[in-house]
Formats: sequence, structure tokens, C-alpha cells
Amino acid sequence: MVTKACTRCHRLLEEDRCAICNLATSKNWSGFLIIVDPDESPIAQELQITLPGEYALRVR
Amino acid sequence: MIYAIRTLVGQEKNVARIIARNVKDSGIGVSAVLVPESLRGYILVESSTKLDLQNPAFKVPHMKGAIEGDIPYEEIKSFLKPEPIIASIQKGSIVELISGPFKGEKAKVVRIDESREDVVLELIEAAVPIPVTVKGDQIRLIQKEAD
Repeated sequence: MVTKACTRCHRLLEEDRCAICNLATSKNWSGFLIIVDPDESPIAQELQITLPGEYALRVR
Repeated sequence: MIYAIRTLVGQEKNVARIIARNVKDSGIGVSAVLVPESLRGYILVESSTKLDLQNPAFKVPHMKGAIEGDIPYEEIKSFLKPEPIIASIQKGSIVELISGPFKGEKAKVVRIDESREDVVLELIEAAVPIPVTVKGDQIRLIQKEAD
């Protein structure tokens, strides 16, 4: 199964639509980030990520 | 604090996934794991405490150890917002194709389509100059400006 990234929230998933944003996902992404604890993470705050999970850094 | 962990090249995502899964249950202060595309063979671990590599959560296959000391947050900011390669090239730049049928060939940039992130190239070693259109992520910059 191809991993895709949501074009808005950058969350990585395998569906054609992001479950949270309800937007189309893209196969063209790069960079990889796992957020374990968004409340404690300056990286998550910088990227405005509030939910734990896997994210892409750049989505086209 | 951010620490760098050395991994086998190509196994960065697998190591990151296993570490993230292990720390979730064990209560270590790891809050994020970052795998920058431009840093091969390394992953960055964000942790509120000093990394204890003796912890079984860090006994991960393909992991080759950690770098001593932590990395300032400012230094990793550039990895969080990767600039598209297309922004750093210009007409006349010499690039190398890193994927596709012309992988390994050197080429000169003829035209850049910024909205579609396409680049039109001319292969240097080809006898007849044929324009080739590729995506911006399929090239690596060798020389910014042609002499």
C-alpha cells in the first residue's frame, strides 16, 4: 500500500482522503516526522501539530 | 533537547518507527522523532531528558549508536521547513539526475516551471541536445551557474 500525505495537515496515511481535514492526499511527499507527544514537543509546536502520529515535512 | 542517532543508510524510517513505538509504552521523555531527507544515515530524536541508550527502548536493529551531546534547536529548524530544490537552481545551472531513465547523467537547466516544480534540462553528454522535462526532486545541484 502506498503511503500518502494530507496536503493540509501533512499527516501520513494510506487512504485517498485525510480523515481529519477531508482533503485529497498526495503521493508526492518527502521528509518524515513522528510526533509522540505533541504537548511536550517544540517541533510539533513549530509545525502546529496537535495530534500524535506520522507526518511528512513537505507535501506537493 | 535534540539528539542525533546514527542508523544504517536507508533504514532511517524503520528505526524511527521502532523507537517511536518503543518509547510510547516505556514512558521515556521522547516527544518526536525526525528523519530529515537531506541527512542520510541519521535520525534526530527530541527528548525532554537525556537519552539513555542503555534503555531497552533503544535496542533497535539497524541503529549504530548516538552522537554525544545535544543539538541546538535552531540548527534543526532548517530541516523542518525544507526549501524546494527548485528555489536554489537557476537557468544555466549544472545538475545531475538522481532518478529516472537518465539517472547519473549530467544536464544543464534550460527552463524552470516554478508553479509545477518542473525543470527542463538538456543532457550535456548527448550528441544532439534534446530537452528533457523532469520533476524538481529528481535532480541534484552540482554547479549553481554555468561558466
